[in-house]
Amino acid sequence: MSRELGSFYRSLAEDADEQVLTPPDALRRRADRRARARGTVTALAAAVLVVGTAAGSQLVLAANERTHVVTPGSTPSVNTTSPPTVDTTPSPAATTSPSPVGPSGPATTPSTGKSTTRSGAPDTPTSISDRAFFTQPAGTVAAPPAFVPEEALPKLCGARYPSDESLVQRRTRKLVYRNLDTPEGQVPDGSYLHSVTIYRPGKAAAWLADLRRAVQNCPEQERVEGVVSRQRLLDSGDFGDDSVLFEMSEPARDVNGDPTGGNDVRLIRAIRIGDVVTVLWEQGWEGTSSERSQVDDYSRRAVTAIRRWLG
Amino acid sequence: MRDAESFDDFYRSSRKRMLRYGYAVVGDHTEAQDLVQEAFARAWRHWRKLSDHPAPEAWVRLVVARLAADRWRRLRGWRAAIARAGPPDVVRPPGEDTVLLVGALRQLPAAQRQALALHYLFDMSVEDIARETSVPTGTVKSWLSRGRSRLAALLPDVSTEEMEATGVA
Repeated sequence: MSRELGSFYRSLAEDADEQVLTPPDALRRRADRRARARGTVTALAAAVLVVGTAAGSQLVLAANERTHVVTPGSTPSVNTTSPPTVDTTPSPAATTSPSPVGPSGPATTPSTGKSTTRSGAPDTPTSISDRAFFTQPAGTVAAPPAFVPEEALPKLCGARYPSDESLVQRRTRKLVYRNLDTPEGQVPDGSYLHSVTIYRPGKAAAWLADLRRAVQNCPEQERVEGVVSRQRLLDSGDFGDDSVLFEMSEPARDVNGDPTGGNDVRLIRAIRIGDVVTVLWEQGWEGTSSERSQVDDYSRRAVTAIRRWLG
Repeated sequence: MRDAESFDDFYRSSRKRMLRYGYAVVGDHTEAQDLVQEAFARAWRHWRKLSDHPAPEAWVRLVVARLAADRWRRLRGWRAAIARAGPPDVVRPPGEDTVLLVGALRQLPAAQRQALALHYLFDMSVEDIARETSVPTGTVKSWLSRGRSRLAALLPDVSTEEMEATGVA
């Protein structure tokens, strides 16, 4: 007997209805308690910052042999405004339609949200618009770019990135390209996972340091069963404010899985521009290796697009 | 000042739908409970602005989808708190169809699970899903079509006529 998919979902709905959620007043109390706890931590951090700044000023003044003294004893004025933490919560104010951008969800609506960093640095948006992604050069698009719910970074011996706790938003897209000299109709020359990530002010550099460490700590790994991949850092060159380039290399195999004697080399570059990090992971196409000049070209375009987006 | 009464009304009227959605997207009872409550907690924090939002339920749904996509990293602390609060109440085991569906959904990418849940649990059209997930309608059609084909292959005796009838097969 043939059945409809809808009946399975109806069964799921009935089972879900059996579950009990916290009563509304208890949920509100818990949410408020958590918000207060977060506010206290922020206030303490701000107080430490103010006292530390005052103490630092004293040291500088003393070094200059000034006669007047700054007294750090007075109660500092504390601003308890939270830093811009968007995470997975969309801004209800910034949108009139319920379609703001998620960390793994694509969006076609340009961002309007801006945050101001305490250091007075240029504003970094709190959501990533399509403008943050570069346009592939004409004639090299082998398939339309598509946003995907993935991370543009290969696994590195199970490394974790503690600075990802400071992640505000990330969007990733898939690119398929063809070199200009590749005739129309031939298979593409390669593909990318390309991400743009916003971090909280000052945290993007920490993420890059985490990545550098992850590559250094993972010279070899079994990527899939029986296939060992070797990783090493390369001289990245001058991209953005800072960048990390590394390669992953493994024995090339033919369609039967037999080694061909060569190596498949993948290049992955992460570039920091202020509080934003963009990652380009060249993934090849049916066993092609990454070409440095091609990766450099897309990297430059990625930096230009982000700088233009950030204004 | 946030209006607790209007939030409570909103919560009571939408929590059931949201829990179904969470279950369909995450595929785990307890996990769905956790993240749906987390999404509502966030809604309460933003309630002053959110109460004027044209579609607060869609806002919460979006948070649920995002938490589901990133739950392992983001909900560690929340799960720990739930764990400290003790085991959940005993509930009857899910029905056979639910078990089959949840098992099959686990083999689908998150985007397809989300699109299917919005379609089957909220009766949303391709255009509405595209608007909510901020992707072109073609992408949604592809998600629905692939998701359904995969489910049809994984579930016993599922009709494919229904897919054609809604024009997204």
